[in-house]
Amino acid sequence: MKNKLPDNLFPENIKNLLHAMSDVGFFERSVVIGSWVMLIYQELYGARYVLRTLDVDFAVHVAHKKSKLRANLKQLITSLGFTDYFDAEGVEKFTGGGYEVEFIGQRSGGRSKGALSVPEWNVTAIPLPFISIMTDCSDVAELNGFIIRFPIPEAFFLHKLIIAQRRLSDAKRDKDLEQCSVVIQIINDERMKNIIEKQRFSRDTKRRITASCEAIGFPLQRIGLL
Amino acid sequence: MKVAEKDNVVHGMLEDEYRRSQEIVKALHAKLEGYPRGALNVRRKKVKDKKYFYHYLVRRDGEKIINLHIAEQDLSKLRKQIEEREKCRKEILSYKKRILYLAKLLKKSKREGGREK
Repeated sequence: MKNKLPDNLFPENIKNLLHAMSDVGFFERSVVIGSWVMLIYQELYGARYVLRTLDVDFAVHVAHKKSKLRANLKQLITSLGFTDYFDAEGVEKFTGGGYEVEFIGQRSGGRSKGALSVPEWNVTAIPLPFISIMTDCSDVAELNGFIIRFPIPEAFFLHKLIIAQRRLSDAKRDKDLEQCSVVIQIINDERMKNIIEKQRFSRDTKRRITASCEAIGFPLQRIGLL
Repeated sequence: MKVAEKDNVVHGMLEDEYRRSQEIVKALHAKLEGYPRGALNVRRKKVKDKKYFYHYLVRRDGEKIINLHIAEQDLSKLRKQIEEREKCRKEILSYKKRILYLAKLLKKSKREGGREK
């Protein structure tokens, strides 16, 4: 395994959670996302970013809306000491030891709110657009003898470039762009262009990418959108 | 006096965490409503040579103390519910502490900080 993470990289309860999810095969197609990914990049590629939120997000690959149960993640997570609850949108989340665990799935079209049911894992996810960029372009790393999957830096970067301009909060936009600025140093142009080629972006999305690139001083030709 | 410049990203993260904690407390309170109130109590009775155990759910209802008898077959389910309720309460407490801390840090009013009942 080329990507090996130190055993003490994550706090103990997060490590146990990742371990349990890895054991049931969750990371075969789904990925860990959010600010914890920056910790992985720091370890593997030396891109240093110290700020971390207390929510642990997972981008879940939704195979089929009616897939049969593969593993009961709800039961698994609550058995690790987390408490489940429903947010205002009806999405089931988990909280424990000060951390919040939530799942995010690809929203295919429309502006539908509410929860996305993932019967394969018996969880509900927040439906958001562009999540598949990260689930489709990912890599794995070994942590304490088990495997976790994470988006490759180029996919994470592209996703942040898009969503930064969709944020309603200035602070969140700044955070997205700050993370982009840190990831720039580890971006591989070839891989970046490969990801872009697989996507079909609307004019609005291209405009958002352009705005974000300008904000962080990233040349558009490196993305291949020019 | 030297004053540190406000960092928009850090401040935003703290604001987010503050708002998120409040939402979680609200959601956990809603969850708490679904659990039975009270504590499990056991009464032991000895009749001749035999010992009998009766389980009660004891709770306060205003001035009154209510003892609700629990049938043997419902006991394990109730115990589990009480255990989950306590876990939920513990989570609420830890989030309330965090809210108070963040409220101080973000200079929120006491009412916003969640001191009110």
